[in-house]
Amino acid sequence: MTEHNPGRRTFLVRALVGTGAMAGAELVPAQNNEARKETNAQLHSETERHGVFFNRSDAAIVSAFAERLMPGAPDKPGAHDAGVVNYIDLALSGAYADLQDFYRRGLAQLDAYCRKTYNDTFVRLDTARQDQVITALEHGEATEFTWPTAQEFFNTIRTHTMEGMFADPIYGGNKDFAGWRLVGFPGAQPIFTRTDMESRQAFKRAPITGL
Amino acid sequence: MAMEKTDVVIVGMGAVGGILAAELAKAGLKVVGLERGPRLTTADFSGQDELRYFQRQDLRPNAKRQPVTWRPNANMPAKPLPILNYGNQAGGGTVHYGAVSWRFHEDDFRVRSHTIERYGVPAIPKESSLADWPLTYADLEPFYDRAEYELGVSGKAGNLQGRKIEGGNMFEAPRRREYPLPPLVADQSGVIFEEGARKLGYHPFSTPRAILSQSYGGRASCTYCGFCQAFGCHVGAKSSILVTKLPEADATGNFKLLTGTMCFRLNSDNSGRVIGVSYYGPDGSSNTIEAELVILAPFIYDNTRLLLLSKTRKFPNGLANSSGQVGKHLMAHITPRVFATFDDRFVNIYMGPSAQKHSLDDFNADNFDHSGLNFIRGAQISVSPADLEAGPIGAAMSINPPPGIPRWGADYRDFLAKYFTRYAAVVAQTENLPYADQTIDLDPNVHDQWGLPAPRLTYDWRRPNELARIEFMLLKLEELAKAMGATRVWRSPMGAGAPGAHHEGGTRMGDNPKTSVVNRYGQSWDIPNLFIIGSSTFPTMSGFNPTLTIQALAYMSADAIVNRYKKGPGRLV
Repeated sequence: MTEHNPGRRTFLVRALVGTGAMAGAELVPAQNNEARKETNAQLHSETERHGVFFNRSDAAIVSAFAERLMPGAPDKPGAHDAGVVNYIDLALSGAYADLQDFYRRGLAQLDAYCRKTYNDTFVRLDTARQDQVITALEHGEATEFTWPTAQEFFNTIRTHTMEGMFADPIYGGNKDFAGWRLVGFPGAQPIFTRTDMESRQAFKRAPITGL
Repeated sequence: MAMEKTDVVIVGMGAVGGILAAELAKAGLKVVGLERGPRLTTADFSGQDELRYFQRQDLRPNAKRQPVTWRPNANMPAKPLPILNYGNQAGGGTVHYGAVSWRFHEDDFRVRSHTIERYGVPAIPKESSLADWPLTYADLEPFYDRAEYELGVSGKAGNLQGRKIEGGNMFEAPRRREYPLPPLVADQSGVIFEEGARKLGYHPFSTPRAILSQSYGGRASCTYCGFCQAFGCHVGAKSSILVTKLPEADATGNFKLLTGTMCFRLNSDNSGRVIGVSYYGPDGSSNTIEAELVILAPFIYDNTRLLLLSKTRKFPNGLANSSGQVGKHLMAHITPRVFATFDDRFVNIYMGPSAQKHSLDDFNADNFDHSGLNFIRGAQISVSPADLEAGPIGAAMSINPPPGIPRWGADYRDFLAKYFTRYAAVVAQTENLPYADQTIDLDPNVHDQWGLPAPRLTYDWRRPNELARIEFMLLKLEELAKAMGATRVWRSPMGAGAPGAHHEGGTRMGDNPKTSVVNRYGQSWDIPNLFIIGSSTFPTMSGFNPTLTIQALAYMSADAIVNRYKKGPGRLV
């Protein structure tokens, strides 16, 4: 996957994005490879802060869940790197405010399922068990869910994780174009030239740009 | 509560309403246009924002405040559709559409007769309400020409007055002259589609689109930014009604646009004429306009809904419904598709206008022999990004990963990371037949933000003719994707029967007042000062996108109203 080394391409980091536009933009501190070696329990519960909607505990669960959906690896930015939980937190206090109770109840049901099945909280499970939990949700096999159903909750978190990975950074995710660097999308380019269109190579003429 | 008088009131300022407004106002008629959404400008579209416009559907109706419900059949409960595929602002769907602009084939206007002539009556499924149009391609050709030249369409002729031309669509009906603008530049998905299709002996071409390949009429040309379908154009190169006909209507001084208004009733008198409309203003007020002529031009659901909501003692089954045909024969395109990934090259499908980039017409209409096949009519085939929109959110939401790759986790991440820039979708857009039991009516349980009953669709495309056609097309798509050089090809799952894009039907046109709602001009058989214009009048749908045909019909109706109806109001047929 060397073609996706973020170092091969410069990218614009606009100073205003991530400060005034977004309260709580530093909800998720950047992770380095050393931090990844920590246990998930340490990684999430000790680093998440209270968001504009999520409390500290909910932020930790959503952060850990999103990271399993889009895990980071060296040179492959993941949900933490992109600030996905920050995107979801801001969306739930604004555009998706009607989903606040959906998340509250979904997270409570997830917690009940994890305690019943593994006698522990989601963030304290190892990644293999977290994946088992997510798989059970995806397939509608997790007990303890009424509304939202397990599948509805999984699908919504997946959708919101993808939005947080790939929406313009102005919405609080896709930090430093992490999602766009991952997939090689140059962002909001105003123009592609005939030469760009004729190329069979990755687009490199201009830096990634946002709104 | 406001009350005013005018010559003409037009409900809906989209593909049809904008053309009628401009043409009638130029002829000296005082026109009021009602539009439930806002009037935006090109400056509003400077943000190339996939979350806002694609994912959150900012230019489309809000599915919660303006619900449309669907059920597969009359025995099932209807549920609100999650996404509504039409416009919600002045300019209507032409603001966000992919601007694909086809002329229908000659046989698209006479599907019933043509099918019987070539295959016999038994070829037509018994339950289908297949019918000919009350006009021919030749009748509409002058108005197709006018729409292409006045709006600005880019493409290459494939049939110039009967002379077939390589590189254009050789299956198209004869046109009097070339397109006003040369074809748009193909991106790499178009290039490999062209190569693959040629290898198989097909006839690929750059899809005709109402997007300027060169500056035209004072408007700038396309920048190939890729934020196209689902987006408003940031330079005004998309020939939307917003940048073409509405400025013309403004310039006459005879046109007034009322935005944020929701028409809820057509008013009629005991003489059997409509006398105007009632509408809710942006402040919720109830208002009335009296008009000599009422033209309905919203998306198709609201034609049926308004006619049914406007019933009176004289018109107990709804206005314009003595035939009992209002709300029937609902049609929609279904789009079987395959995904293809390429390991030896980048495709960068996010470049260039995003809908149906390059096409072939070899398997559309009756362009191929259906003898021995267990279905009639075909599909238009093209190469596109995942959901006619090419950003990474669209890819994550719309590409089902290939077999063996889950929808999340490290393998999924690596799939997206490697193939977002190395994939293409090959898509068929099928001509589904009309069926009388596919309907639009009023939902008794669900209401919109104005308290009006939601339009309710009863529709299921999973019928033998349609299922057989889809399987045939999927095999063609797989063959094409492999010929394009794809390393891996896989199918996208088909949906659960819900209607796709481009809805047609509900106020069918015809020659006979007993079996149709309007005549060829969209004029109500029952009420001569009421016109209903748009794809709701299509008797059959074609495998082609409907907008250019809708616009040609609008020009034809405008011409008939200005040159004939205005001088002697009465039936035009």
